[in-house]
Amino acid sequence: MNAMTDKIRQIARRLLEEGKVDMVVGFRKGTVPMMSEPCFIKDSARVDALVWDGNCGINLANYLTRRKERMAVVAKGCDTRNIVTHIIENQIRREQVYIIGVPCQGMIDKRKVKNLADGEVLSVEEKDGKVVVTAGGGEKSFDRTALLQDNCAICHHKNPALSDELAGELVRENPDVDRYEDVRKVEAMGAAEKWKFFDELLSTCIRCYACRNACPLCYCPTCFVDESKPQWVGKGQDPTDTRTFHFLRAFHCAGRCTDCGSCERACPMGIPVRQFTKKLEKDAKELFGWEAGMTLDARPPLDTFRPDDPGAFIK
Amino acid sequence: MSEFQPKIVAFLCNWCSYGAADLAGVSRLQYPPNIRVVRIPCTGRLSPKFILSAFRRGADGVWASG
Amino acid sequence: MKGLLEHMGIEPGRLHFSWISSAESTKFVDVVSQVTESVKALGPAQNFIKREPKVA
Repeated sequence: MNAMTDKIRQIARRLLEEGKVDMVVGFRKGTVPMMSEPCFIKDSARVDALVWDGNCGINLANYLTRRKERMAVVAKGCDTRNIVTHIIENQIRREQVYIIGVPCQGMIDKRKVKNLADGEVLSVEEKDGKVVVTAGGGEKSFDRTALLQDNCAICHHKNPALSDELAGELVRENPDVDRYEDVRKVEAMGAAEKWKFFDELLSTCIRCYACRNACPLCYCPTCFVDESKPQWVGKGQDPTDTRTFHFLRAFHCAGRCTDCGSCERACPMGIPVRQFTKKLEKDAKELFGWEAGMTLDARPPLDTFRPDDPGAFIK
Repeated sequence: MSEFQPKIVAFLCNWCSYGAADLAGVSRLQYPPNIRVVRIPCTGRLSPKFILSAFRRGADGVWASG
Repeated sequence: MKGLLEHMGIEPGRLHFSWISSAESTKFVDVVSQVTESVKALGPAQNFIKREPKVA
């Protein structure tokens, strides 16, 4: 059992016993390997269910909206940024959440593990930067860095942006990683080539909306895809509809996306959906110098006007 | 068929460009007949969905003007 | 908006934004001409059109 898990349990127990919060939102061990699942704990006797490991990739900020309780939430870097975004957008009140910040070492990509292991994965253990995978065909050990989710490998903000208490030592940030290599590659293409690139990217999409449901930003009571009067986008697998969906979904996340990777993690078809949001994230950074969810004190660029906003595209 | 005539959907703000279009008409200025004007109460009413809708239904171009 | 559309492979000349006051009829005429020219130069749109099913 790792130190982080112990510390999280300790904090959770204290908070519940003191009655500071009504519930703790965290992770517990899933029923299959590499699937830690969100859990809500309301009784201090049950805090031992909480765990922390490399499979807690689900963004817990998603579970905090439209609730009345006082909550404590176990949150890694990207989760805290999403919580900040929620607070800015008046989805949660600051005094309603107690953030147990977890400095994050990156999450393990279960697809990468599955591809590397022989046979069905039976258990996954993490130890000192190594990951030991036991599968049907035997045991294998990998470097943890090789198994990280794509977004974690290029993460700039592993440490919580906002927290009431930390569950571990802050980790070293890695600000030199080039976040936008793949975006630039696409930007360099011609229009037809880009079109083809995204056609292939989306060809396997089954329109299950898992990316939307996993996304902490998608809290609209009625999503545009479910509207039928007028119907903005068809429900089938028509390539145009699929593209419209992905385009608008990404567009709704403009200047808000923290690149937490939930969408990509949730996609059952393994589509790199972050290719859409990342472009806008890059634009937000380059045009407005904005990174979502870093502070409570600034309004996001798309809901404020400044005379020096870039306007070169306007004739 | 002669030269290609594109279909352009123009979203014009009631108070700005729509007024300008009106004035252009009153002043009998000549301009290309390819635009199909949609009057909106304000450019702020323009949702990205509208632009996508126009493209999806076969517009060759979209022009939003405040 | 324009940035992402282009990123996805819509030609840059297809979507235009402008800002014209209601007194600027000459600017209006100029911009209409520019927009039409630029779309004309690109030819008919091929992408992003929802094709109705042939057999309904």
